[in-house]
Amino acid sequence: MSTEAIAAEKPKRNFNALFGLTLLGLLLLMWIVLAVATPSFATTLNITNLLRQGSLIAILAVGQTFVIITGGIDLSVGAVVGFTTVIVALLINAGWPIWAAVLATLLVGIAIGLFHGFGIVKMGLPPFIITLATMTSLRGIGLLMTNGNSISINSDSFQAFSRGSLAGIPYLFWMVILVAIPSYIFLHHTRWGRYLFSVGSNAEAARLSGVNVPRTIFMAYVLSGLLAAIVGVLLASRIGIGNPTQGDTYELQAIASSVIGGTSLFGAIGSVHGPLIGSFILSTINNGANLLNVNTFWQRVITGLLIIVIVYFDGLRRRGK
Amino acid sequence: MTSTAQDLHPAPTLAPGRTILELNGLEKRYPGTHALKPVHLAFKAGEIHAIVGENGAGKSTLIKLLTGVMPRTSGEVIWEGKPTALATPHEAMALGINAVHQEVVLCRHLTVAANMFLGEEESRFGLLQQRAMVKDAQKIIDGLGFDLPAHVMLGDLTIGQQQLIAAARATVRGTKFLIFDEPTAYLTRKEADQLFELIRRLKGEGVTIIYISHRMEEVFELADRVSVLRDGTLVGTRNIAETDEPELVKLMINRSIEQIYHKEHFTPGATIVETKNLSGKGFENVSVTVRAGEIVGLYGLIGAGRSEFVTTLYGRHRKSAGQILWQGKEVQVNSEHDAIRLGMALAPESRRDQGLCLNLPVGMNLNLPIYKRISSNFLISGAKEKAEADRQIADLRIKTPTRHALASSLSGGNQQKIVIGKWLAHGAKLFIFDEPTVGVDVGTKAEIYRLFSTLLSKGAGIILISSYLPEVYELADTLHVFRRGKLVATHGFRTASHEDILGQALAEKQEKSGGQK
Ligand SMILES: Nc1ncnc2c1ncn2[C@@H]1O[C@H](COP(=O)(O)OP(=O)(O)OP(=O)(O)O)[C@@H](O)[C@H]1O
Ligand SMILES: [Mg+2]
Repeated sequence: MSTEAIAAEKPKRNFNALFGLTLLGLLLLMWIVLAVATPSFATTLNITNLLRQGSLIAILAVGQTFVIITGGIDLSVGAVVGFTTVIVALLINAGWPIWAAVLATLLVGIAIGLFHGFGIVKMGLPPFIITLATMTSLRGIGLLMTNGNSISINSDSFQAFSRGSLAGIPYLFWMVILVAIPSYIFLHHTRWGRYLFSVGSNAEAARLSGVNVPRTIFMAYVLSGLLAAIVGVLLASRIGIGNPTQGDTYELQAIASSVIGGTSLFGAIGSVHGPLIGSFILSTINNGANLLNVNTFWQRVITGLLIIVIVYFDGLRRRGK
Repeated sequence: MTSTAQDLHPAPTLAPGRTILELNGLEKRYPGTHALKPVHLAFKAGEIHAIVGENGAGKSTLIKLLTGVMPRTSGEVIWEGKPTALATPHEAMALGINAVHQEVVLCRHLTVAANMFLGEEESRFGLLQQRAMVKDAQKIIDGLGFDLPAHVMLGDLTIGQQQLIAAARATVRGTKFLIFDEPTAYLTRKEADQLFELIRRLKGEGVTIIYISHRMEEVFELADRVSVLRDGTLVGTRNIAETDEPELVKLMINRSIEQIYHKEHFTPGATIVETKNLSGKGFENVSVTVRAGEIVGLYGLIGAGRSEFVTTLYGRHRKSAGQILWQGKEVQVNSEHDAIRLGMALAPESRRDQGLCLNLPVGMNLNLPIYKRISSNFLISGAKEKAEADRQIADLRIKTPTRHALASSLSGGNQQKIVIGKWLAHGAKLFIFDEPTVGVDVGTKAEIYRLFSTLLSKGAGIILISSYLPEVYELADTLHVFRRGKLVATHGFRTASHEDILGQALAEKQEKSGGQK
């Protein structure tokens, strides 16, 4: 009987209003609700703070998305952030000019990405394993280098960057834009972007079509490592220290942002704007929960539940389209 | 007497009990596609009912509805007099409806035996009886006359062999109603004959069969009745004795085709590629020359080493001995990348595994090999991207709402057109087509053959692998016959008879006892 078939489609219709709500809509809605519910949300101080909080994860999420699109995962980014805060701190304290210290730190991020590419392409290790390995090892190396201590950075101008703002918008958020635009062009308007998708969809078909699959994989992890190093520099500037245990669980937040933003963990589906919005949704949840005086333990629970709800409804919306 | 869709409904003329399955306004809409417009059709118990139609006509969709793979949008299905929901595959199987789907939907990482018993494993005290299952599976396979091992991984078999396993699997499940969706697409004549034998035997046992195929001669060989779908509409049902091929083709595509095999002869130009005693995994001592403007056909049974030969030529596997000469100079082809740089293009035989990025848009699939050409200063030219994709879609008549639709939403034949289409704009010198027209309808086949001629006229050479003898026979300027990894015979254009070529490919009796591994 056809009633079943029709019945199966019905519940979808009831949620139509929710489907229409895109992620950006959801973010704006959350902001409006919070602005009404708490007096302290819509203040300049809070908004700039929120933008600063969200920016770091947003940048990581973009790199993570490149990797996930190829069907991989980069668990190391949090550790890379911590490790690179140490590198940049050591170099600056050693008297390197800031630009040189930053450049060298970014090269370290690239080298870590190359190492991941090597492990996956040349040694045939699963991305999960090789990046999990770097995740623990890098923290260890960082702790060895610092003896477990924090290194405070003795350069005011370096730290001033993270506090500064341009046109009322924090530099940290400008960095997001600076990363997002080239990333968007790269992913959607260059052949390299297309190759990332094709590798994630069917590496064999991509290879037979002349796509250099190993190089594409290297590229994804190098970009992820580079962006993680950028975040490391920004974080060091923000907190004024180098500490290998910094950036704890950043990788999970980056992955969550990416998935909230519509990236498929099976590869071949993803965008740049999605993860950006996803990361600001996540930090808005945290920020809002703080302002509403939600117990921090509950915050974690709620964040987890909201991730499930958002990704579920977003999936429904996409399928319904 | 010919009957149309209209006068089949409400089908009071059919005595109850003689109709096993009746479709009453069965309809399916996908987002953006009205794949099946209300269909009224009754299947008689014990008949072989063929369904034909162009790519995207809705044949597979109909099957998916009948087997509970997809929910229907509206309409009724009446099974043995009672309306039935058919909401899940399980429900369909419980009724005795089974299908061998167009794309093999078994688990590549399980053994043949495990696949045959998937969902109905033999176990004792909760433990799987692995050995017993392998033995039983082997017995069934042998009983069907298929020469295949039950203990190997399914993924190690060729697609054709996997299809036979799927057929074998369906037969062991207490089937009353069995559907074959293009089962012979990847089979050679020998395997197809085994399958036909199986189908006739099932019919003898009273099983009702739906048989979908693009090969008219098979329809006339097997079927009792044939229904034609066009654009999701059932445009007619005929008794097989009362119709002929031109009528069916006319019904299918609403126009007639004078000549499917479009063959132009060009004077062969310079040698493009030459292999000298090339050996590798699965073939040895193969010497083949391809010149500009000619089609070199490779015919043989499945597993005869043709695909291995071309993939080695294409740099996917290492050669173990011999030479490859490209335009007269010896070259080392160590990767697909090398091959493509030299100017080779390969359209592989397995579209799901090697040919397509299923969850990417049609346009992206079509342009994948040429992104380099259509971008400048790193940026892809949106206009060129659109133009190239739309041109292929139009030339090959790929049935898709737009180039943004996902490849997975296309019908099997239309997916195949993407696999071919993506190389046509590439400008390669040597095109290797491995089973290019698998599952492609007659109209488009003719179109593809015409495009071959265009490629040849531009000075390219083609290696054409086909398990469908008429195709290589009518198109190849030079026809090489492979048997068990060796090149055993070479013929000019139409210089040997079909029987001779078949005989050479089969090598008489000794083939059967040979170990298949
Ligand atoms: N999952 C899907 N989503 C959207 N459209 C679909 C989907 N599956 C099939 N279609 C569309 O439905 C139509 C009928 O497809 P179907 O697979 O039934 O064709 P077919 O007759 O089996 O063709 P072929 O001979 O190529 O196998 C096609 O236009 C196809 O693009
Ligand atoms: Mg089909």
